[in-house]
Amino acid sequence: MVDSLLSGFQALDLTDEKGFVCGKTLAALGVETIKIEKPGGDPARGIPPFLHDVPDPEKSLYWFAFNTDKRSITLNLDASQGQDLFRKLVERADFVLESFTPGYMDSLGLGYEALRRVNPRIIVTSITPFGQKGPYAQYKGSELVASAMSGVMVSTGDPDRPPVREGPDSIYFRSSAAAALGTVMAHYYRENTGEGQQVDVSLQEVAASRTSSDLVIWEFDKRLIKRNATIRTVGARATQWLWRCKDGYVFWPYMGGPGGAPANSALSQWIDDDGLENPLNQVTNWDEFDFATLPKTELDVQQEAIRKFFMNHTKKEIAEEGLKRGINASVVNNPANVLENPQLEARSYWVELEHSELGVTLTYPKYFFLNNQTENFIRRRAPLIGEDNDDIYANELGLSSTEMVALKEAGVI
Amino acid sequence: MLFEKEEQIRRVSGSMEKQALAGVKVLDFGWALVGSLTSKQLADHGAQVVRVESITRIDLTRTNRMVSMSSATNPDDKPWFTHLNTSKYGIAVNLKHPRAREVIDRLIRWADVVNANMVPGTLGRLGFGYEYIRSIKPDIIMAEGSAYGQTGPMAHKWGVDGTGAALSGYLDLTGWPDRGPVGPNVPYGDVVLPFFIALAIVGALDYKRRTGKGQYIDGSMFDVCIHQVTPALLDWEANGHLQTRNGNRIAYAAPHGVFPCRGDDRWCAIGVFTDNEWEAFCHVIEDPSWTREPRFTTLSSRKENEDALEELVAEWTKQHSAEEVMQMMQAAGVPAGVVQTMQDLLEHDPQLKEREFLVPLEHPVIGVFGHPTPPYKLLKTKAQVRTSPCLGEHTAYVCTELLGMSDEEFIELLREGVFE
Repeated sequence: MVDSLLSGFQALDLTDEKGFVCGKTLAALGVETIKIEKPGGDPARGIPPFLHDVPDPEKSLYWFAFNTDKRSITLNLDASQGQDLFRKLVERADFVLESFTPGYMDSLGLGYEALRRVNPRIIVTSITPFGQKGPYAQYKGSELVASAMSGVMVSTGDPDRPPVREGPDSIYFRSSAAAALGTVMAHYYRENTGEGQQVDVSLQEVAASRTSSDLVIWEFDKRLIKRNATIRTVGARATQWLWRCKDGYVFWPYMGGPGGAPANSALSQWIDDDGLENPLNQVTNWDEFDFATLPKTELDVQQEAIRKFFMNHTKKEIAEEGLKRGINASVVNNPANVLENPQLEARSYWVELEHSELGVTLTYPKYFFLNNQTENFIRRRAPLIGEDNDDIYANELGLSSTEMVALKEAGVI
Repeated sequence: MLFEKEEQIRRVSGSMEKQALAGVKVLDFGWALVGSLTSKQLADHGAQVVRVESITRIDLTRTNRMVSMSSATNPDDKPWFTHLNTSKYGIAVNLKHPRAREVIDRLIRWADVVNANMVPGTLGRLGFGYEYIRSIKPDIIMAEGSAYGQTGPMAHKWGVDGTGAALSGYLDLTGWPDRGPVGPNVPYGDVVLPFFIALAIVGALDYKRRTGKGQYIDGSMFDVCIHQVTPALLDWEANGHLQTRNGNRIAYAAPHGVFPCRGDDRWCAIGVFTDNEWEAFCHVIEDPSWTREPRFTTLSSRKENEDALEELVAEWTKQHSAEEVMQMMQAAGVPAGVVQTMQDLLEHDPQLKEREFLVPLEHPVIGVFGHPTPPYKLLKTKAQVRTSPCLGEHTAYVCTELLGMSDEEFIELLREGVFE
């Protein structure tokens, strides 16, 4: 059997939806990841959509999406017996992932300092709206709030409407990825030195780290970039990046210099071949084409011609013919289109995971990246509530059946 | 202000303590955003990263004149490049020179990791593909980032940031239901793929520590971006629902939106998820009678009457500054946040300052300005950030000190035109 990058290590995952993908990623890399849920199930099992539109904690597609490959146990951390059990689990674990309000774990006697005494090698990764310390540390957060506070939202949306969030939970996703990276860096250090540590991730800061280009424009020139629908400002001039086509939308960034040259000349050729009016013809050297020296009126004329050109074609034509011609356009796929994409098919990107208790098999992304020496694949559907209680508490921790029953009756597991 | 005192200005952020990746050596062919940000994660945490650059194939962020102080001719006056390339060593080599191999081969032998993100196939055509590198260094860890991956019918196509955003379904889901898709004026795919590639590299370093084996890593922006839309994919395959843009609304919270505040184009985001939060929210807005109407008392009734709800909320928020709305809501336990501008981030946000989001460092050409630290903090092995290299700044240092070339040998290669 080919193994995975981090086979043989174990994580305890206490996160809510802010941090699900951190544990999911580690699990795909071979870390045995145990999701610890409140008795009755994690509240995030209430996030829609649901399988066949039936609200049920065992049918949340959101839960399914971000908890693949995890095992699940239930545990009440507010009960002192629950805290004792958690310490037992920490003794044998390599990582703890959590996303509680800063200070909550400390109030239970389960903060980093306390866990370090149980297991000095432990790495505790915290994913919170604003980070562990500082004036906003106790503030409540969410995808929407992180988008606002990070400076991402201020440049997203139509000028005549309020700023708008990104559709998917994009900040949870990238913060979880950053958390997984920090966790594995800390792990590498731990394996070399024996020292564990805490990793502190802020949703706001991860999202804010995307704004470099807009930040320097303020810092150096005191200009603010505002939301402008499909027009994007990178460099001297704002140009159109998203275009309407016959049956949808196309991403095609109009860029100057050598970076944009191959695509610009290929597009200009296609406009000619279509027999459309083509002001792009006037550009003689695309490598030297610079928006900084192009009068705004000329840019408008060019972009009008490009607009007409895209409206002349369908998504399919742009995807297929555009690929041959090298215009570097990407169609704006909807979820159905994504599942049919030939590039993903060729890379064996999808995996069918069976939900036997529900009688369905669903298609999921199979990996985050490919390796030639190890397999870091998503292999198993998300767990049911407490699915691994018996296995972990009885078989692995050695609790007797009497103890198990008592813990259940006390509402601990 | 971000930088109040002269004494805060340093050459290196943090103190000279232990670093997580100390001792790791990286040969870096990365450029633009994905490659640069991948090796930045490693360099800021103590890996020794030698970035190979060439004036004939210059990084687009060394030419982009997004700020007025940047010239058309000097590759070293671009603050955006610095944001993406802190803590690295830079050498300038003409890779097409017949004797460039004498330098690169030595770097390969020196390195634990090779990072690259040219269009798939390009590095191979230059004579430095994975097979060649592995023939010199069998246990090398090599990672290549790309728009579509190293295999498949689109592998060799060029792509940029929005490629992943558009193809993955992310863009189709962003914006208003009655309008076309929109994206932020900042990157989406280019700034998340590096986290995954760097993660794979560090995971591979640990795998090598345990097994002695290196490996090749193929990271694709398209592949990675799809993960965040997985619930929408499942909703289509399982339920036949094709999700689309929905503004700021979500199914399990209301109000959940961005509301106008006092001032010019000022906004505050508010999200009410639970019954407790709704009660707290009503209390903050001083319990107007409409909050007790049946059309607003439960989540499902608020969802059904969301247009009216949002108008009533906006009537209240308009009377206050965005900061007041956030503070009042947060004091009552309701998630809320100002739609912050870049000015807010740099000048008014005490939390980002606390986290050293940007640290003032001196760049030899640009002067003192804010350099970004990694947004995930390893509390025992803090990131240490140095300014970015000028083009070819460390060529002599890398060749003679790190690679052990004699001065004579270095000068000969210099005369031959191997270095730029």
